[in-house]
Amino acid sequence: MILLCGIPSESPLAMVAAALDELPADYRMVNQRKVADYDLAVAIDGGTVEGTLRLNGETFRLGEIDAAYIRLMDDRLLPELAGQGDGSPARRHARAFHDTLLRWLEVAPARVVNRCDPQGSNGSKPYQAQLIMQFGLRVPETLITNDPDAVLAFQREHGTLIYKSISGVRSIVQALTENDLARLDLIRWCPVQFQARVPGTDVRVHVVDDEVHATEIVSDTLDYRYARQSGGSAELRAFELDDDTAERCIALTRGLGLLFAGIDLKITPEGEVFCFEVNPCPAFSFYEANTGQPIARALARHLAGVN
Amino acid sequence: MASLTLASLAASSAAAAKPILVLCEDFDHAAAWAAQGLRRRGVEVDIVCGTDLAAAPQLEHRVGRAGATIEIALASGRRLSSRTVGGVLNRLSFLPSAWMQRIGGPDRDYAVQEMYALYVSWLNSLPGPLFNPPAPQGLCGNWRHPSAWAALAGRAGLPVACYRQTSDVDPTTLWPMPTTAPATLLVVGERVVGQAAGLRHLDDACRRLARAANVRLLGIDFAPGAQGWRFAGASVMPDLTRGGEPLVDALAQELAA
Repeated sequence: MILLCGIPSESPLAMVAAALDELPADYRMVNQRKVADYDLAVAIDGGTVEGTLRLNGETFRLGEIDAAYIRLMDDRLLPELAGQGDGSPARRHARAFHDTLLRWLEVAPARVVNRCDPQGSNGSKPYQAQLIMQFGLRVPETLITNDPDAVLAFQREHGTLIYKSISGVRSIVQALTENDLARLDLIRWCPVQFQARVPGTDVRVHVVDDEVHATEIVSDTLDYRYARQSGGSAELRAFELDDDTAERCIALTRGLGLLFAGIDLKITPEGEVFCFEVNPCPAFSFYEANTGQPIARALARHLAGVN
Repeated sequence: MASLTLASLAASSAAAAKPILVLCEDFDHAAAWAAQGLRRRGVEVDIVCGTDLAAAPQLEHRVGRAGATIEIALASGRRLSSRTVGGVLNRLSFLPSAWMQRIGGPDRDYAVQEMYALYVSWLNSLPGPLFNPPAPQGLCGNWRHPSAWAALAGRAGLPVACYRQTSDVDPTTLWPMPTTAPATLLVVGERVVGQAAGLRHLDDACRRLARAANVRLLGIDFAPGAQGWRFAGASVMPDLTRGGEPLVDALAQELAA
């Protein structure tokens, strides 16, 4: 049996549920909004993991669960808990259930998409870049510094620079402009990440186990994720990735301990492939909705153990 | 005139000798004890404390075609450079407390996340034997939950008491309080040290646990029970003094490797 964990109406979860219906495959939804009706008990003994999960009156042995797809939101922000005090029984139960669920999924002998630990590399972009390089993919030349002079030297060396967050906190990628240079002294307070701008085509690669779906994004903005907000446009279409790059993307996903990943590539006019980031919990629905690429179906088949 | 950056300075004065770098908080007595022991064995040791790092006026961390490097100018005039490090005893579990105390205001959480992400990366760029490499879940190794340690230890072949967790229990109560375990074995690379003679048959299982945890230095605690000694927890930043002089011997040999 498969567990889908999150908010059922959230697009990626809803699309995987629909794909599982189509297969068909046996699954249950762990709907966070109904957490008050759920219970979980886990026992780890000598390396084996056992226990029970009660969902809406049904009780399952944890050993029955072969796979899980996790799209959990922060349980503290659940609408059902709005107005509840910090120490209310409902909040305490929700916290305890979610903690137990995640602890179990971390060690469960099941196909978990994805466990928490391997997702951690996305919390430090330069750290993840060092891992990416181990799989033969280039990363943009990067400088993180609190020294304005070092930034200016880096700019002389590489030309146009962009800057973005170092951590997993989402930030809009910005080009370093004359206005930014005028306030460059502010980086003395907190180091900032600068990168040489890489020209070329943005490609998002979704890897599901050993299956690859690549999408080309044609946009007139620096950060296509925010094209609409910035008055620009982004057009998505299926893209044929060369075998070597596809293999590297599969190896990188596995090497990071992930079963599903969204890898951001840039392919230069000269054909060089740069890797910017590996997203361990990609909202693939945006790409599937725009291209029709069967990513949800691939994920559903993987969860169901169908080759 | 072109500005003089840390990277250019370091490149022009790459030192021939490469000391062992000990990174620690100022109050880490176990790190100071280990550093002294290494020096007694003729190992050149450079200690950089949390206050040094917190006050560093210049930092350059580069990642790219040439690999990853770190250059930090310390306020004292000393320099921490990945070009001149021969090995590392990394005892930073989180950002230096001196830096944490200086940071405030509405962007504090963001600044902490950014700085933590930077530390994970620059620590990972340090060359030579690294005891321990950073992980996103802890700067000197993954600071695992007791449930994860119980599963890893059991799979490694250590005797482990059954770990239980339910949705009725406050999860904050599941993290162990710091205590001194009745017995501790320390894994240093492939060596296992510790004054626990009755546990030495577990050396191989301890090595397997350290490998599974992706660390080279691991303290593994044991407590007696009705069925004999059992795994009681593990730490990627153990009290090194519990390993005594054999631990310093092992560190010196592994760091020189």
